[in-house]
Amino acid sequence: MVDMLIKMFENSTDAIFFFDANGKALALNPAAEQIIDKDVVTQLRQGEFQAMCQACRGYTSDTELQTCLSCYFSHNSDPEDFSSFQVYLETEGKGVLPYAATFHTIDPENGVRVFMLRDLTKQFKTQERLYENKMMKHVIEAQENEQKRISRELHDSVAQELLSAVVDLRVVKYMTQDQDVLDKVRQTEATMTRLLDDIRNLSVELRPAALDDFGLEAAFRSHFKRVEQSYGLEVEFKSDIGTRRFGNEIETVVYRICQEAVLNAVKYAQVDSVKVTLTVETQFLKLRVEDKGAGFEKGDDPIGTGLGLHGMRERAELVHGDLTVQTKIGKGTAVQLSIPIGQDRTGGKAK
Amino acid sequence: MMEIKFNYQNEADRLREKLGCDLVAIALVETAEQQFVLKWQYASGNLNDRFKRIVLQSGRGVAGLVFKTGKPLLLPSVGEFIKKDGLFSYPIIMSEKLQSVAAVPLWNKGRVAGVLLCGCRKEHEITDELLQMMLKTAGEGIGNLDGKELMAL
Repeated sequence: MVDMLIKMFENSTDAIFFFDANGKALALNPAAEQIIDKDVVTQLRQGEFQAMCQACRGYTSDTELQTCLSCYFSHNSDPEDFSSFQVYLETEGKGVLPYAATFHTIDPENGVRVFMLRDLTKQFKTQERLYENKMMKHVIEAQENEQKRISRELHDSVAQELLSAVVDLRVVKYMTQDQDVLDKVRQTEATMTRLLDDIRNLSVELRPAALDDFGLEAAFRSHFKRVEQSYGLEVEFKSDIGTRRFGNEIETVVYRICQEAVLNAVKYAQVDSVKVTLTVETQFLKLRVEDKGAGFEKGDDPIGTGLGLHGMRERAELVHGDLTVQTKIGKGTAVQLSIPIGQDRTGGKAK
Repeated sequence: MMEIKFNYQNEADRLREKLGCDLVAIALVETAEQQFVLKWQYASGNLNDRFKRIVLQSGRGVAGLVFKTGKPLLLPSVGEFIKKDGLFSYPIIMSEKLQSVAAVPLWNKGRVAGVLLCGCRKEHEITDELLQMMLKTAGEGIGNLDGKELMAL
């Protein structure tokens, strides 16, 4: 038993300190010596006043992340409060890190106390990633919903009203023989027709109604037509999914990633055409966006913000998809997305 | 109809020779059947037809800016005016590899009905002098567009 306790003290990855009643360190295990600055260790051993404070950066209380108020080290602190708590320490070479700590008396007669620390960095990182992922999901969802709302509003009310005004103008043309009036009306009709077109484009750009109503293939076809109209880039689109529907989330992810990838080709690849294929293979929905353009070197300074690829990857992760980017300077770029599909809904029966 | 088209193309070729630039392009508003969209319809000295596919939007790109504001636009050096990552908003500059550009509005009955663009593939080739010549040409009227009345205003 004693043997095992000694081994635990010697080999544990947890840092263990023993303090006497005056706050002088009686013993430190190797793990503890590793994390604390050497000078501080010496001072701890000599029992210097507030030696621990040189390494300690406060503990987490109900009200603050890092505080020294009613310090765990002081004698009048309630031992109950410090059976398990979180403390920040200045560590040797790694900066300030969070630790899970426990501080309690093991020998009431002599007032010997033990202070044990466990590194929380890894746990924190996992938690942070989990949190980030969750937040990202919410942000993207909120963004999509808002875009959908504005898009519908533009399409259903603004564009409709404008259309009826255009129709009225056409009627005016038959009500007069005055050439000047006719010319003016014709010009106004042209301006309003263009405006109507702009509003429709805006609405579709925000969120294509076709995506919700008719599915990916239809949405892609009209999207690529617009890409051609606004950038002169030809999109060669092949798809074998027909009217098949997938979950709302999956469809949104595929659509947005493809949108981004094609826009990247427009911006950076310096090409006239892009190839897009959308296929279902066994239990995976696969998207491939390919160009024979300039390509780029991974890790190079991006021309743009460099956030596009990151965003695409993040979206892919939301539906457990896998995104790969193959690129070579002068050879072109291929973005491939593969998303697992569980039970799919067929025949356009999505909600 | 064919005859008018012929005239525009000739006019573009003639202008390019006269002004000594690499590209001359004319954007015009299309007919009612085509939803009155603005498109580059005639070009002389172009590398490819990519920009002709583009439906120009008022306020966007070179043609869109001139169309919306009715003011001439002079970019002696494209690089100084547009950042590299913003270039994709100006497809004609990119696909035609232009380094200096000027564009003027073509007026018809109190409205901008089209845009005349001249571009060079070298910097600082297009000067203010050339812009004035373009304005003069546009003022004299291209094809059936009667620019005169508005230039006088």
